[in-house]
Amino acid sequence: MDKVNKDKDKIITLAVESSCDETSVAVLRGGRTVLSNIIATQIPIHRKFGGVVPEIASRKHIVNVMPVIDEALEKAGVTLQDIDQVAVTYGPGLVGALLVGVSAAKALAFTLGVPLIGVNHLEGHIFANFLSAPELKPPFMALVVSGGHTSLVHVKDYNSFSLMGQTRDDAAGEAFDKVARVMGLPYPGGPQIDKLAQEGDPMAIDFPRALQEKGNYEFSFSGLKSAVLNYLNSMKLKGIEVNKADVAASFQHTVIEVLLAKALDAVKETGCDTLVLAGGVAANSSLEKRLREVTAKNNIKFYFPDKILCTDNAAMIGCRGYYQSLAGNYSDLYLNAVPGLALQDL
Amino acid sequence: MPILAMDTATMVSSVAVADNKKLLAELIVENKLTHSETLLPHVEQVLNMAGVKKDALEAVAVSVGPGSFTGLRIGLAAAKAIAYGLNIPIIGIPTMEGLAWHYPVPGITVAGFIDAQKGNVYTAHYRWNGDNFDEVKAIEVLSLDDAINICREIYGPVMAVGDMVAKKMTKMESLPENLIIPPKHVLMPRAANIAMAGLKKLAAGQVDSVMDMEPIYIRKSEAEVLWEKRQAKLKQEAQ
Repeated sequence: MDKVNKDKDKIITLAVESSCDETSVAVLRGGRTVLSNIIATQIPIHRKFGGVVPEIASRKHIVNVMPVIDEALEKAGVTLQDIDQVAVTYGPGLVGALLVGVSAAKALAFTLGVPLIGVNHLEGHIFANFLSAPELKPPFMALVVSGGHTSLVHVKDYNSFSLMGQTRDDAAGEAFDKVARVMGLPYPGGPQIDKLAQEGDPMAIDFPRALQEKGNYEFSFSGLKSAVLNYLNSMKLKGIEVNKADVAASFQHTVIEVLLAKALDAVKETGCDTLVLAGGVAANSSLEKRLREVTAKNNIKFYFPDKILCTDNAAMIGCRGYYQSLAGNYSDLYLNAVPGLALQDL
Repeated sequence: MPILAMDTATMVSSVAVADNKKLLAELIVENKLTHSETLLPHVEQVLNMAGVKKDALEAVAVSVGPGSFTGLRIGLAAAKAIAYGLNIPIIGIPTMEGLAWHYPVPGITVAGFIDAQKGNVYTAHYRWNGDNFDEVKAIEVLSLDDAINICREIYGPVMAVGDMVAKKMTKMESLPENLIIPPKHVLMPRAANIAMAGLKKLAAGQVDSVMDMEPIYIRKSEAEVLWEKRQAKLKQEAQ
């Protein structure tokens, strides 16, 4: 079969994601039809350590990677011979974890004699929106909020991005995890804060907001994180029992309002009519709810991925890989993991 | 029918293609480039040099450790995907068993010394039985000094192989008299050895499964060791 001239809507992409603590493999037909999206999560294994242990994550990936590939093919109802291209996350993430997926994907592409596509995990998160919303097309503004990253990206076309701003220090997700840990909530902390915040008063405590000047699209959450920790400490020293739900609600409210204000400004400045939310923290129900309210009020279309596509998954990597392949953006067999890979203008 | 073999357990990255009659091609590289970048290009080059099409491969043999955790996983992930993609058997060879194949000589012991960090080594002993190697001392982690000293008790010559021989032992004085330090080019891993050991196992039907194969780590991750220490302490305090 001539794979180059194959109808692009029928291209079968196998995608591999192993950047952190999920081993995931997906099969897509064209750019938007997910035939399978298998995710082997390690969250219960890392819980007792209070966070992801890189060496343990890597050890799980090397055991999981082939069964997950096998299951993804079986569930998709395709064979290895049907695969037209292999996409893989090559960063950012934990280097040892990334290397398992990259090494397996390279070997599979080589063995099958099909092209290899190295995918930026963060671009994958943005592209998860295309899988949840078939009608979504660029241009739009993307607010990426994940464990390690917070950024605003102007997606001008499928292969043309402009980075408006990103975090200078802690990402929003990091602040969530750290605050949760100090409050004694189990790992992963983000969903726990979100849950606890539902019972608290978001106006109870006034936490600081950084980089508030107009036109500044950079984020900083390390000051906020310290303010919450200082508040908890000083209450403890004074022997005053804190209302944890109020702390969670006030902290979360502060993060959300900062994200919201900057995202709205960025949408207005670029003249976009659409905002999409992407990344693991997109699963935060309060963030999604607040963005929905405010975008509706401002006549801005708003999208966010289905919950399963907010977490680390290979379907989004396959989607991004597909659109890269349309632009001829392939990788060679020298592809390496890049743990500190950033979002960049494209 | 040819076998593809690879060893990425140490600083050396090596790929070979061999059949029962001969070694067809081999690449052994020790440079600063990472195994993750170069392993697949090396596989492609060695197959080309050998004139072997990948579809003609009968099995994949891979060095499974102990050694560098990351290096082992790069090799094993690649070997698994190739074996799965071609639907052929995969065979794991302990890294030090591969090293023993430098010296298929009766009457001597081959002792492996692989860097286990912090002055420790993974060590194991092998003896040639005329057809294959017998493991006469199972793999364990010892301090380098202890691993050297147990060689004193062995009757007959002991060939020292592995990356710690090159890193540390060539500079040491007062080594046991029966311990032989070979030249540097015959003490590091090479994939031809993995291929030879792999062909033996393939003939004996001793193959592994890509679905559950793991490197031989021996050592737990630091986080697990610390966690277990903490649990033990808590338990002690509770009593």
